[in-house]
Amino acid sequence: MSKIYGIGENQVKALDHTSFSIEKGEFVLIVGSSGSGKSTLLNMIGLLDRPTNGKVFIDGIDTTKLSENKISSFRNKKLGFIFQFSNLLTDLTVLENVLLPRQIAGTNGSAEKDARELLKTVGLESQMNKRANKISGGQAQRVAIARGLINNPSIVLADEPTGNLDSVTSDMVVQLMKSMAKKLNQTFIIVTHEPEHFGDVDKIITIKDGKSYVGNPTSELEVIA
Amino acid sequence: MRLAKRMLFNKKGSLMGAVLAVTIGILVIHVNFVIFQGLFDAIVRDISNYRNGDILVTDEADYIDKSDLALVNWFERIPYVQGATPRLSSSAEINMTKNGNLIEETRVPVVGVDPLRDVRASTVHETVSDGTYVLNRNSVVLGTNVANDLGGAQVGDSLKLLIVDRTGEDQIRRFNVAGIVKSPGGQGLDYSVVMHIDTLRDMMGRSGESGSFMVKLNDPNKAFEVKEFFLAAFPNDDFLAETIEESAEEQLAGFRSGIAMINMIGYFGMMSSAFAIVTIQMMLVNGKTREIGVMRSIGAKRKDILIIFIFQGMIIGAIGAGVGTAAGLGYTMYAKETNMSFMNSIPLEVNYNWEKIIQTAVLSFTLAIIASLYPSYRATKLLPVEAMRTV
Repeated sequence: MSKIYGIGENQVKALDHTSFSIEKGEFVLIVGSSGSGKSTLLNMIGLLDRPTNGKVFIDGIDTTKLSENKISSFRNKKLGFIFQFSNLLTDLTVLENVLLPRQIAGTNGSAEKDARELLKTVGLESQMNKRANKISGGQAQRVAIARGLINNPSIVLADEPTGNLDSVTSDMVVQLMKSMAKKLNQTFIIVTHEPEHFGDVDKIITIKDGKSYVGNPTSELEVIA
Repeated sequence: MRLAKRMLFNKKGSLMGAVLAVTIGILVIHVNFVIFQGLFDAIVRDISNYRNGDILVTDEADYIDKSDLALVNWFERIPYVQGATPRLSSSAEINMTKNGNLIEETRVPVVGVDPLRDVRASTVHETVSDGTYVLNRNSVVLGTNVANDLGGAQVGDSLKLLIVDRTGEDQIRRFNVAGIVKSPGGQGLDYSVVMHIDTLRDMMGRSGESGSFMVKLNDPNKAFEVKEFFLAAFPNDDFLAETIEESAEEQLAGFRSGIAMINMIGYFGMMSSAFAIVTIQMMLVNGKTREIGVMRSIGAKRKDILIIFIFQGMIIGAIGAGVGTAAGLGYTMYAKETNMSFMNSIPLEVNYNWEKIIQTAVLSFTLAIIASLYPSYRATKLLPVEAMRTV
C-alpha cells in the first residue's frame, strides 16, 4: 500500500508501496527513524486512515472495502489500541475507561467482571475507582493496555507505548504486553524507536523512506517492496 | 450517557454558562408575561369591575326602557351571576365656590348608579378613599381627578351640576360631596362624578330608563353562555350584549399587539440563548477533540458521538428549563403575592398560565437540543487520527 499526503508539488509519500504480512499470535515491532512513516503505517493497519493505493487485509477481509460504520465496528471488535500518551478519558474512572470499548460494542454481559479481571492482571485492581487523571503515567499505560484487550481483539496495535515512560516503567509495560500476548495468543504490532526494550520478538519491520523491510535495516535487510 | 454527563459536569463553567443562558431565556419570557400580560389582565379586570362587568347589556338604538327590577331579577336567578346593576351616563357642567373663588368645570362625565345593586356587580364602592359611596339622591361622589380640578373639593363641600335634558333644557341641581373615589391605576371612575341613577334619570328626563346593565359573574368563563342565554330570552328587544372581550375590544386592541411584540422579544431572547448554547457546545467539542478521537479509534461510530453531544444538549435543556421555570414561577408568585405594581400604578393581575409555562419550558428544552445539533455534527466529522493529534 501507499499513502500520499498533499497534492501536486507538495506531495509527500509517507508510505511507498509497502507490503508485508503478519501471522496470528506474532509479536511484531515496527521500527524506523522519526518521520519514516511508522505511525502512518500503524494508522493504516488500525483502519484509522485509508491508504491512497493498495489494500489492508485483516483476517482475510479487505478492510478498504468496508463502510465507515463497519470499519468502526471492526476497530471495536478486532483491534485494540494502545497509544503513546495512554489517551485515557479523564472524565471517567480507571474501570470505566477499561469498560468503554465493551460499552461501545454494546455487549455489557460480563463486561465489569472482565474489566476487573484485566485490571487485576495489570496490577491495578486497587486503582480501578480512581479518576484516570489521578494515576501515574505508568499506571495509565497499563490501564490503556487493559482497555486495548477488553474486547479480546485479534490484533493489538501500540504506538510508542513506552515513549513517554521512564526505563523501569517501560520494562514493566513491555513485559506486561509480552506476557499478555503469550497468554491470550494475540497479535501485537508495536511501533517503537526503542526496539532494545523489547528483547526477542517474532518479527521486526523497519520502515525507511516509506518502504518496509523485514529485519534490521543496518544488518541483513529483506526488502519487501 | 454516563460519559456525556461526566464530560459536561466536569466542565462546570460551561455547564453553568449554558444552563444560565436557557434560564435567562425562560426568565425573560416569564417576566415579560407577568408584567405585560399582567397589565393587560389588570386593565380587563378593572374595566370589568368598574365599568362593563363580565357582560355589558345596552340597547342597539336607544336607552334601555325595561325596568331595573325585571332585568336584574332575570339575571340574578342565573346561578353564574353574582349581580347585575343599571348604569346611566351623561356629561355635566360643574361649578363650585371654593375659598371665595368660583371654579367651573365642563364636560365632566357623570355616571348614575343604583347604590344598592351596584355594590353587588361592581367594585367602584371599594375605591372610595374619603367619605362614603352614593347614599342618597342629593349627594354625589367625585372622582379624585374631578375633585382636584375643582380646586381640591372635599367631602361635605357643596357644588352645582348642570345637565342638559332630553329636550335640550338645562337642569341644574345642588349636591353635597359624599365621597371621593380613587382607584389604583386610575381605571375606575376617577375622572367622573357618580350620582344616584334616579337623580340622573330625573335630570335627563329619562325616567325608568338606563344606558346599560353591567352583569358580574361568579365564573367569568360562563360569560358567553350567559350572554347567549340572555339574547335568546329577549329576541324581540334590541338588546346588545357583549362579553368583556367584546365591549373592551377597542381599548384592548392596541395593547394586544404590544403584548405580541413583547412576546416576540422574549422569544428572540430565547433564540439568543440557543446561540449561546451553540457557542458553549462548540467549546465543549473543541475541548474534547482528543477524547472524541480516542473514542472513534476504539470503535465509537459517528452516531455514538452525536448521541453524546445531543444528550449533553438535553441535559443543558432539562436543567435550564427546570431552573428557568422555577425562577419564573418564583417571580410570578412574588408578583402575585405582593400585588405588584409599578410607581403605584395599576396592580398587575397575575395568573399562572400553565399552558404557557409548560410551552416555554418545552420550547427551551427543544431549542437547547436543536442548538446542540450543529456542534454534535461537527464532533462527528472529526477524523480519529486528526483528532488525536490535538493536545
